[in-house]
Amino acid sequence: MKIKFLIVFCVWVCYGSAQDCNLILEGYVLDSDTKVPLEFSNIYIQSVNKGAVADGRGYFKIVELCPREEYQLKVSHVGCETKLISVPLASDTTITVFLNHQGELIDEVVVNALGEEATSASSSSVEQSEISENSNDNISDLLETISGVSILRNGSGVSKPVVHGLYGNRVGILNNGIPQAGQKWGNDHAPEIDAFVADKLSVVKGTSALEYGGSSLGSMVLVNVDRIGNTDGIDGELNYIFESNGLGNTGNLKLENSNKLLNWRLTSTFKIKGDNKAPDYFLTNTGKREGNLAFQAEKTIGEKWSNRWYYSFFNTEIGILRGSHIGNLTDLEIAIGRAEPFFTNSEFSYQIDAPSQKVQHHLWKWESKLFLKNDRVLALKYGGQINQRKEFDVRRSGRSDIPAMSMDLTSHFGEGKYSGILANSIDFNMGVQLNFLDNTNNPETGILPLIPDYRSFQTSGFMIFQKQVSDLFFEWGGRYDYKYMNVKAISRSVPREIQEYIHHFSNYSFSGGLQYDWFDKVRTNFNMGYMLRAPEINELYSFGLHQGVSGIEEGNPEMDQEKSFKITLNNDLKISEVFSLSLLGYYQRINGFIYLEPQNEYRLTIRGAFPLFEYTQADADIAGVDFSLKFIPEKSWRVDVKYSIVRGQNRDDELALINLPSDNIRSKVKYFFDDSENSNSFLSISGDYIFRQTRIEKSQDFLLPPDGYFLLGFSAGTTIPFLDNGLTAELRFENALNRRYRDYLNRQRYFADEPGINVSLRLNYKF
Amino acid sequence: MRKLILFAFVSLIFFSCEKDDPIVPHEEELITTMNLTLTPDSGEVVLFTFSDLDGDGGDDPSISTEALRANTVYSATLELLNATESPAEDITEEIREENEEHQFFFRSNAGLDLSVEYNDQDDSGNPLGVETNFSTGAPSSGQLIVTLRHEPNKSASGVSEGDISNAGGETDIEVTFDVVIE
Repeated sequence: MKIKFLIVFCVWVCYGSAQDCNLILEGYVLDSDTKVPLEFSNIYIQSVNKGAVADGRGYFKIVELCPREEYQLKVSHVGCETKLISVPLASDTTITVFLNHQGELIDEVVVNALGEEATSASSSSVEQSEISENSNDNISDLLETISGVSILRNGSGVSKPVVHGLYGNRVGILNNGIPQAGQKWGNDHAPEIDAFVADKLSVVKGTSALEYGGSSLGSMVLVNVDRIGNTDGIDGELNYIFESNGLGNTGNLKLENSNKLLNWRLTSTFKIKGDNKAPDYFLTNTGKREGNLAFQAEKTIGEKWSNRWYYSFFNTEIGILRGSHIGNLTDLEIAIGRAEPFFTNSEFSYQIDAPSQKVQHHLWKWESKLFLKNDRVLALKYGGQINQRKEFDVRRSGRSDIPAMSMDLTSHFGEGKYSGILANSIDFNMGVQLNFLDNTNNPETGILPLIPDYRSFQTSGFMIFQKQVSDLFFEWGGRYDYKYMNVKAISRSVPREIQEYIHHFSNYSFSGGLQYDWFDKVRTNFNMGYMLRAPEINELYSFGLHQGVSGIEEGNPEMDQEKSFKITLNNDLKISEVFSLSLLGYYQRINGFIYLEPQNEYRLTIRGAFPLFEYTQADADIAGVDFSLKFIPEKSWRVDVKYSIVRGQNRDDELALINLPSDNIRSKVKYFFDDSENSNSFLSISGDYIFRQTRIEKSQDFLLPPDGYFLLGFSAGTTIPFLDNGLTAELRFENALNRRYRDYLNRQRYFADEPGINVSLRLNYKF
Repeated sequence: MRKLILFAFVSLIFFSCEKDDPIVPHEEELITTMNLTLTPDSGEVVLFTFSDLDGDGGDDPSISTEALRANTVYSATLELLNATESPAEDITEEIREENEEHQFFFRSNAGLDLSVEYNDQDDSGNPLGVETNFSTGAPSSGQLIVTLRHEPNKSASGVSEGDISNAGGETDIEVTFDVVIE
């Protein structure tokens, strides 16, 4: 395993010799770049079964040690690789350890997140450098670089992650430690997060995911910010990105300052983009506007009490391809056969008309940590969110300006967490959580809502234990959620009446995992878990015409929980510094898998007959393999290859599950110039091949999945000195061959091609 | 731990668990009823009706027609209503106001000996289709499909003659009547 941290500085303070066993080993763990104390760093001496957790100052203390020639100390911190260091101990000793780390998971006391800190760390997280290279993209698009993650799209403006074949209600997103509360049930509802505020994106699977809420069947997407470093005055960063396709302009400013009073950081982003262009035509009305603001503050009071505040405002307007707006099944059939979508303008425009979406999302949080005796930590967290979503349709008599769907979702999340190390060196992490949601439909629409008004209240408790015994690490845990829902629906019969429904759900989850290191070359992770997921509001109560898919969708209030069992086996093989590979296989059985089943029934309306889709439950199997390979033949070359396969089947009707990613292979070769220390010049070429999804039958979709496609990309970048600091410039070509293609996971595939070539220029100036 | 649990229950008090009653939206855009009134030069007035009072989904709509006489010219008028309002709101007026953005199309399948001609114009001189002439031929039976397109391309080939194939736009109405010519 590569040594990721250095001991830059070691001080031995000697006070003569002491032969009895009451020596003290104390010290600090700091970040080597920012000199920020790394609280929660875990310091552990295997041979004597003693350890400590660093407090808010990064300070730790281990007492009652016997003098010895050498102690093997294990220092770990989430987001870093664990490494042993040896310390001779003849007297009381103070050491300072600097950890070198590439972005950290700030919040979570996952002392040893299984499958998270493996050698293939790149396969489960996206680091800051990659995020800032792509920060003009949607946050979901960034996750696509993680193997096993694909993207479900509606045009290029709306995208959401698909993790191991699951998406929407089944993949939770934790924004700064708070479960993101948006209308996530909609396939065309993207997560409301600014890519620029994220310093690290990761996907957590396995036992550690138990901490993060009951709706995730084993996978959570974490969006985290870095802690504020020690600054000399006000530090900052300025970003500007221009894109040729859609004439997009993205700007971003980051300012941060640390002082005795308060450490703070301000991030502000704007984005304006016009119609995208497919190789043969403009994608009319696919522009996008975004304006975001985030404020982060940190303050440690005394030595034992750290506080963090965060507020973010996300505000976007997204145009939906005009030609994808259809009235009925006949329109859909006509649109599918078109060479060029209806309503295609021959000229580029920044204008956004109906159909479109306007979304605003506020998130505020306060997180407080108390460092107690015996290295115990009590962490309290509160997060509030307001999500306002308005969707506009093409309507008569000037009503296109009135939303056809308008929902306000308010949520409050509270968490109390207690963690530390038990006497027998078992790490524990336990907590209780409360999650309150309130959804209100705005009657301004003049249309009966697709999902009803509701309130839900969830109380949860979890416990996770971890233990290391020589090369074997194991963890196990459980979680319980009680969910109450109060639903107020409007009747579909006339006269309209208010109907009240009440639900109680009890969910429990268990998970356990092992990790074993073989000869320092292979790390094997095995994990299994059993989880329950309560049906969400759309699965229970959605009712109405979903024009986008030309179907009438009906929920089922009798729906029961999904019960899921999942096994994951991961092998990370690091043959040498030059060559490493990772192979992950998983199998998941979901009993009572909730999905929209097409009924052999049509509902007649004034717009003609629409096929009926009902939410139904069936047993389903999902299995897949993620393979990734890293090859560094010499210092200036790096080759990455990733390959993912997912299969899913409904066991009742033996048909393949819809919206599963097809097989895909992604590769990248990067060359770093060795010209000077600071220029970071590079050239890279990437090639992605997405295979055709061949397992979908004609009866399952209006149109068979599109052909496979190959995309070629190039990029080049360098840093030049500019006004005492560095200016980084990067040029990038996406879809460099201007290929005409459609993607199975893009709902727009019925109507139009994907965007063609895009040349983007990114400038970054740090000061 | 005990304090945490206490905290949990105390916070429960701040939120009532019951959701307030929603406000029923004013469905002013809804089209529940389509009446097609066919008036011959002499003889009985014939009425075709489509009505779906609870909107999309729910109860099935009711559709009624009456027999047409052979070899007769009828002047036909369409009327669209929102019958959930009281009195019923006339949606036809909205269509007339936005006449350039709407067009009705009338298609009869092969078995039915019926031809339909536009008898009105929008502000640009293209057909709208609220007023039409129905000319029946020999006794026969079949289906008549009445379609209302929003934002069609009226200058596309054949559209102003009543051919829907190049019209584009979105379908606001598509109602099928079973018609008998006696």
